[in-house]
Amino acid sequence: MRAPDETANADLADVDRVLGGDVRAFEGIVRRWQGPLVNMAWRYCRDRGRAEELAQEAFVRAWRGLGSWRREATFSTWLFALAANVYRNDLKRFPAVTVPIDEAPEPAELPAHDAELHERRRNEALRRAVLALPLRYREPVVLYYFHEMDVGAAASTLRLPEGTVKARLARARGLLRKRFPHLDEGHATQAVGNLTERKEA
Amino acid sequence: MKHGEIDNILASEEELVPSSGFLGAVMHRVEEEASAPPPIPFPWKRALPGIVLALAVLAWGTVTLVRYALEAGSGFTMSLPDMHLAAPVARPVEQAAWVVGALIISAASWLLSRRLAGGRG
Repeated sequence: MRAPDETANADLADVDRVLGGDVRAFEGIVRRWQGPLVNMAWRYCRDRGRAEELAQEAFVRAWRGLGSWRREATFSTWLFALAANVYRNDLKRFPAVTVPIDEAPEPAELPAHDAELHERRRNEALRRAVLALPLRYREPVVLYYFHEMDVGAAASTLRLPEGTVKARLARARGLLRKRFPHLDEGHATQAVGNLTERKEA
Repeated sequence: MKHGEIDNILASEEELVPSSGFLGAVMHRVEEEASAPPPIPFPWKRALPGIVLALAVLAWGTVTLVRYALEAGSGFTMSLPDMHLAAPVARPVEQAAWVVGALIISAASWLLSRRLAGGRG
């Protein structure tokens, strides 16, 4: 894996080449960012085919708008914000198939030998329940975990203040805990506290 | 540092690997767009006389509307106590009403077209 500085320099060089008329240089950008963009789209819709379509659309939009990148932020920050915009707008037009969060099923307790299966089902149910959250709470959750629990990065992608993102995350966690009361026993309060602690650390 | 279980589950998502044709598909679309002829520029030279005419008509309409409105207003204040002045006032008021109606219909159709176009432009 490349160091962040190396990636940023490679992005910059490729962008300059594309703007100079070398279309093939865009391939370097797609190679570097296809994984993150597809994974980000997957977290928005949990549909592999649609995730690739959305990521492809985001790359094409990025290609069209390369000239509008002002280089005040890193290329990845600009690209993620653009992609989030594409995914959000598309999902507003064609929402992912979800159930209301109150109807999201919580798997019942299973015998001990099925513990692993039970855990998988429970984890998947929780991930799907994220999609059932209202959009204003869903997006901060999706981007916070996509950015490896970095509130600042999630806030940059959403173009929102960090405080707003933290507040929405706390609210989203509250909704998820309410729906899955057995999930976070013993850690419920700490989970919200971790958000600020981790940032301060 | 201990993490909440929600954190653990949502952070431990398996990484999705893009399909082998993804890069090719994106580059195909990009190259297609790059090789497409540039969009035809708006023919400002040809459109300019029409735009000027439209602006002139709009200006004339606005001036006429204001004039009729003022006439009607002054007519009303003078005619309220005297019913004999009602007939001469009626015509400008009627004309002003037509102009106002046309403007309302234009604004409504503009708003409707914006709404149908998804708020773009």
